[in-house]
Amino acid sequence: MPIQRIKVVSAKCTGCRLCRQICAISHFGDINPQKAALKIEAHFPQPGVYRPRVCTQCGKCREVCPEGAIYRREDGAYIVVAEKCTNCGLCIPACKPGVIFQHSEVPYVIICDNCFKCTELCNTGAITIHTAPVKEGA
Amino acid sequence: MKAERFAGSDGLAGTTLRINLTTGEIKSSPTDTKLMREWYGGRGVVAKILYDEVPRDADPFGPENLFIVSAGVMSGCFIPAGAKVGFGSISPLTNGHGDSNMGGHLGPALKFAGYDLVIMSGIAPKPTYLFIDDDTVELRDAAQYWGMGSLECEPVMKKDLGEDFEIATIGPSGENGIRFSCITHDFGRQAGWTGQGAVMGSKKLKAIAVRGTGSIKVHDLAKLTEHVSAIIKRTKTHPNMDPWQKYGTAFFIEWSNSNAVIPTRNFQTTHFESIDGISGEALVEKCLITHKACFGCWMNCGKYTKAVLPGKETVYLEGPEYETGSLCGSNLGMTDINQVAYLNWLLDNVGMDTMSGGGVIAFGMECFQRGLITTDDLEGHTLNWGSVEDAEHFVDMIVHRRGIGQHFAGGTKRAAEYIGRGSEKFAMQVKGQEMSGYDGRYAPGMMLAYMTCDIGAHHNRAWTITVDMAEGRETIEGRAKVVIYLQHIRPLFDCWCICRLFWGELDIEPEEIVESLNDITGWNITAADAFKTSEKIWNLVRCQYLERNRADGRTFDYPPARAWEDKIPTGPGAGKGLTFEQVEGMLDDYYACRGWDPKGNPSREVLHDLGLDFAADNLEKIGLLGKPLPNGIPAVRGERYKPKAF
Amino acid sequence: MTIFLKAGGQLRAKLNPDVDYYTRKVEIDGGKTIAEILDAISLNPAFVALIHVDGKLKDLSYTPSDGQTIILQPPVSGG
Repeated sequence: MPIQRIKVVSAKCTGCRLCRQICAISHFGDINPQKAALKIEAHFPQPGVYRPRVCTQCGKCREVCPEGAIYRREDGAYIVVAEKCTNCGLCIPACKPGVIFQHSEVPYVIICDNCFKCTELCNTGAITIHTAPVKEGA
Repeated sequence: MKAERFAGSDGLAGTTLRINLTTGEIKSSPTDTKLMREWYGGRGVVAKILYDEVPRDADPFGPENLFIVSAGVMSGCFIPAGAKVGFGSISPLTNGHGDSNMGGHLGPALKFAGYDLVIMSGIAPKPTYLFIDDDTVELRDAAQYWGMGSLECEPVMKKDLGEDFEIATIGPSGENGIRFSCITHDFGRQAGWTGQGAVMGSKKLKAIAVRGTGSIKVHDLAKLTEHVSAIIKRTKTHPNMDPWQKYGTAFFIEWSNSNAVIPTRNFQTTHFESIDGISGEALVEKCLITHKACFGCWMNCGKYTKAVLPGKETVYLEGPEYETGSLCGSNLGMTDINQVAYLNWLLDNVGMDTMSGGGVIAFGMECFQRGLITTDDLEGHTLNWGSVEDAEHFVDMIVHRRGIGQHFAGGTKRAAEYIGRGSEKFAMQVKGQEMSGYDGRYAPGMMLAYMTCDIGAHHNRAWTITVDMAEGRETIEGRAKVVIYLQHIRPLFDCWCICRLFWGELDIEPEEIVESLNDITGWNITAADAFKTSEKIWNLVRCQYLERNRADGRTFDYPPARAWEDKIPTGPGAGKGLTFEQVEGMLDDYYACRGWDPKGNPSREVLHDLGLDFAADNLEKIGLLGKPLPNGIPAVRGERYKPKAF
Repeated sequence: MTIFLKAGGQLRAKLNPDVDYYTRKVEIDGGKTIAEILDAISLNPAFVALIHVDGKLKDLSYTPSDGQTIILQPPVSGG
């Protein structure tokens, strides 16, 4: 299975947050963009740009997790095992794009799981699916 | 303080806040689900609360007027453009029901924080802002923000409170009681009509800051997600999508010019010779920084831009969209998009509605053109068409109420009353609200829409120009029914607090929107039910207007005399115009189709049919209940418009 | 030659699409302007607000070439 992740083109983002809405709906059955595993930073009034922040699959979260509650799936996504996660939050400062987070209504940390529902709704191509080329001999 | 919050369901957040700004008392109660169901949230609920609670003789700037913030039933939910927040109060421009709404992210944030409605009364003893962070609700001192421009204040407040707060502010214009002041949010989204920013200022309320982290419960999330995802995916390839995303409403400037409806130099003509300089294409080419969308909207009509003018600091703004482009563009004789964008920024920042503001400046410019005001009135300055400097100085005189500026601070109607000498003829307003960016002289339906619009001459309630073109631009036949149909469908979006632009532009039929509404609310209504409720709201607002202003409705429904005295002098509409008989004829048709009497007063029969007997009783007491119609009222008021085949 | 006209909104019904929901295929002699093409299919150009070809704005005098898709945009429902 090829490694996949979300590719971002900031210049195309219009800040609508449909991605955050569908993320929370599909993972928690909730209309609540605060429960989304990606963020949109708005830099206004200057320079006037939206920057989507998404999981880059750098793996820092897994490295710092004291419970071994995070593993990498074969498609590249880092998956939180809800039963193992103690919600200690150590992974949060370790996350460079700052997209791992806690929510008062969820008993474990939230990390993007490569469902790509967000990319399906994005209407400007600001976030798309990036498939890594398969290495020779791999 | 901590506010008690109540569980929400079926699209409602659950809690209503009532805040007495005079005493600082904050009360929360469960949102009245029956009231929301009957009046559809948003505009409808606001209309009912204003009707029930504000004394008929209350001064719009007094403590008895309410200032209501409402997030409707669909805002924040997973629905295209479910981004709106509505504001309502008795309008200082029209002295009738006033409501205005804006997109951005404030409405959803309010719902996520748990509130459907915030109803404010009284007047704060000192500059104050409303702080809402989930269950923390506080009135806080706004001394450090008072006096700041809207666009300057928002980033400062975000820095103080947190980037994730959604903030709505007023500028010096609202603080100083300029009657056409707006509320600004998200660096350039405005609620501009009917002077809601002025009411906020009169209450010493500088800003509203909201952060919400909760969830909105809907009736059937699975169905809603399925329906809405399908709408979004289907319309991605819609032919309108690409141009819409690229230009927003600004593409329409050129069309409006070539079809003889663009207001030019205070509606003197409908053709602007320098249209290329202010077109949508010019905007995208010269000013665009990024496309900008409201919450949950995939059409991103917002254009975030900068204006670069020699001798001026470069400024950042959102817009100009169509209305600002026409009313602060061709209507002021501005020939360059950077001039229009600069004025857009100027008015946004001082907190003046760019539509009414453009109208007021244009009126001033025509007065200057005709020698009715002179450089003596303008502190030595001129007020010439096409001059940004002149406009900027004039705006400064208005905002700070200096000299003649104080008379323009009440809008064009009050300014014309002061100036007199025939200027009323070209004070382009109805009921005190300035006209939108379309001239109705060669689009009779549009003129009727302005005349009968419940908040004054605004295009929000009905826009008929393409219908006028299809049915014949020189005839008034059948226009009343179309206007009524539109007056029923368009305000529904303001009830539900969603944007209406995707309805007409992307082939999303009312039935499809109502289906999503049912997914959210479980109301199980039809589009026909929705139209009837909208008619009920329309009639209630009319009754409110008559009860407050105490004269036959017809007397309020005339446009300025330019509408029939002056023919369009130049361009593709040259020589065209309305006659007074046509204006009268359209009113006669309109009242008959609405079940109102020829004096423009609603009859008991129609009010009874809509469940508004209480309003009929109130009208009867003051002698303004319409006489029974000889042939009874029409069974359906405002049939759905089907264009003639051609 | 063949060109494709595409429209939504009020204009879609007037266009009578036959290729897909939004698109109509028109066979016409080469060298005709968009105004002449609209005339040939009896579509009143007053209902066309903007014309887009390959992402560029064009006007009624533009002469499309074989196989091009012309997006006809109706006016907005108002501001």
